[in-house]
Amino acid sequence: MDANKLKKRPPYPFETIAVAVAFSPRLEALLYEAKQYADTFKSNLVMLHIGEKDPKKEEALEVLIQHIGIDKNKSRTIWMDGEPTETILNLCKLNIVDLLIIGALEKENLYKFYMGSIARNISRRAKCSVLLLTHPSNKPVRVKKIVINGVDNPKTEYTINASAYFAKANKIKELTIVQEIDMPGVALTIAENSTAPEALKIKREMKDEAYTKINCIIEKMTAENLDINVTDVTGKPGYAISNYAKNKHCDLLVINSPDTHLSIFDRIFTHDIEHILADLPCNLLIVHSRI
Amino acid sequence: MLVLSRLAAELGRLVKLPVVMGEIIIGIVLGPTILGHFSPHWHNLLFPVFGNVSIALDGITKISVVMMLFVAGLEVQMQLVIKQGKAAISTSLLGMLIPFAVGFASAWYMPVFFENQDKDKFLYALFFGTAMSISALPVIARTLMDMNMFKTKIGMIIIAAAMFDDLMGWLIFSLIMGMMGHGKNFAAIALDIAYILGFGLFMLTIGKKIIDKSLPLIQRKFSWPGGVLSLSLGLCFICGAFTESIGFHAVLGSFIAGIAIGDSVKLKPKARDIIHQFVTNVFAPLFFVSIGLKLNFMDNFNLNLVFAVLIIAIIGKVIGASIGAKLGGLNWRESFAIGFGLNARGAMEIILGSLALSAGLINEKMFVALVVMAIITSLFSAPFIKLFVKVEA
Repeated sequence: MDANKLKKRPPYPFETIAVAVAFSPRLEALLYEAKQYADTFKSNLVMLHIGEKDPKKEEALEVLIQHIGIDKNKSRTIWMDGEPTETILNLCKLNIVDLLIIGALEKENLYKFYMGSIARNISRRAKCSVLLLTHPSNKPVRVKKIVINGVDNPKTEYTINASAYFAKANKIKELTIVQEIDMPGVALTIAENSTAPEALKIKREMKDEAYTKINCIIEKMTAENLDINVTDVTGKPGYAISNYAKNKHCDLLVINSPDTHLSIFDRIFTHDIEHILADLPCNLLIVHSRI
Repeated sequence: MLVLSRLAAELGRLVKLPVVMGEIIIGIVLGPTILGHFSPHWHNLLFPVFGNVSIALDGITKISVVMMLFVAGLEVQMQLVIKQGKAAISTSLLGMLIPFAVGFASAWYMPVFFENQDKDKFLYALFFGTAMSISALPVIARTLMDMNMFKTKIGMIIIAAAMFDDLMGWLIFSLIMGMMGHGKNFAAIALDIAYILGFGLFMLTIGKKIIDKSLPLIQRKFSWPGGVLSLSLGLCFICGAFTESIGFHAVLGSFIAGIAIGDSVKLKPKARDIIHQFVTNVFAPLFFVSIGLKLNFMDNFNLNLVFAVLIIAIIGKVIGASIGAKLGGLNWRESFAIGFGLNARGAMEIILGSLALSAGLINEKMFVALVVMAIITSLFSAPFIKLFVKVEA
């Protein structure tokens, strides 16, 4: 497969969905959800197992595939040995995967947080969209509430459109776009030098600017039968929206992929996506716009 | 002091002058420069040099500076530097190192000109280098907001670099203050550095975790806003007392406490606003007015020195930050805009100078030069940025 085909490839439709397979108690639930999504998006399903090809494991997986009802004509299994994160990332590139589904714990211990688990490391580095499932289920689960991070970034337009595509396929009628309002240094400046109306004006202008940009994106969308609400939260980027999603009991939080390569310093000085990955509020869809 | 400084600040605000300028002017008017000159009787009556009033005022200004560094620390967000990437990091580093080097070299090779008659040459040069490298976040943030540049790429790089330069500047200054007590005892200096790093690391890791766990409880269960206000300022003073006890100035402890609390995602924006309002509008004016009460600005104004300090400050900072920004991938126009943006020294420079004066590290003439430089660079930051960047209305 030509990895150059990844460049400029739009983030949707999800023609190929991959799922990372580990023989854990949650495997059946994870495969079930992956199958549901593959059926919903009419995608090919690729199951990735990193480890030695073992006849017992092969048989166990085969039994599961049959039990869940995965269509063999539209799916395949890849067994590959190697370092899990690197291998999965390479396989996704080689197989032009549009969406990678992985199971993830809501919260990890301190060591894993700083060193990085497989799921988190993949989320940070994948060149495709990643769907992190915190509580995969082997019963049908309807996604009802989707929250999208409307951060001021060129990628956001793609993320919003991808979310609309996701919502339409899953028959969801409503999306909420949340903008995080945070301006470092402003509090000190306002305290020193602004009347009450001026301070209100500054805060209002900050919000208005954010809303204007999002409304421009929404106007360009062709989203029939989809209600799009826009709201804002004040607080540290990443943390504020994660808190919002948790408090509103959302089913899915959708965010942009990271702009830069993330290292341990980004976990020490936590910001943006790292706040979300530190404590997943719900399932997380990281849209990779590939721009 | 409070009433007059507020009136002066409001008048200054009408003509877009920094608030700190109005406060210092009131101090100059009430101090030996004007009131003391024309009516020494009233000056001595209002601000006696000896006695309980003097001790009380000294105490208030010391507390004020500790709290001001606490609120400065609240605004430092190291993740902003990391987030902005290469451009912010190179701008921060070179925007610090080059002015520091220029300042250090100037004071090292021309100690008499820069008013070092009898102080340790190395320490003095270190201080002067630090004074040349510091930036003032509140002034810069205000300038960028007024120019609608706050959320632009240039604006965010300037803010990130200012935060980093503030952090490094205060760390180095605290080290200098610690070194003043140890002379050239390298073992003691190494221990000092270990103490600072250890304390900083503790506050920014374990301390932050404790703060993250405590803040939600305090903000929810304690009286609002009294609970969070008194406990956060309490932590500020505890940390200040700690650093004072290990030989550094209390401002280091309060600055680091501010960073730890300000960095917490659990601190409500409203709580942050209240802390800012309380300190910035009550204690900061008292501090800046007291600066003018300390000395006669006219007698200690040395035009050559002021000019030299101003030129070194501007050249070092503008060139350093511009080169840093250019290396970070920006074009020359944007880089120079960033250089001039970071050149505003404002309140931070004045606080640094005041602490150095109180510690006997610098004399009055150098202090006056630093104050004048801080004000001029703050006033002219915006016009120079506009020269290089087309600002959208």
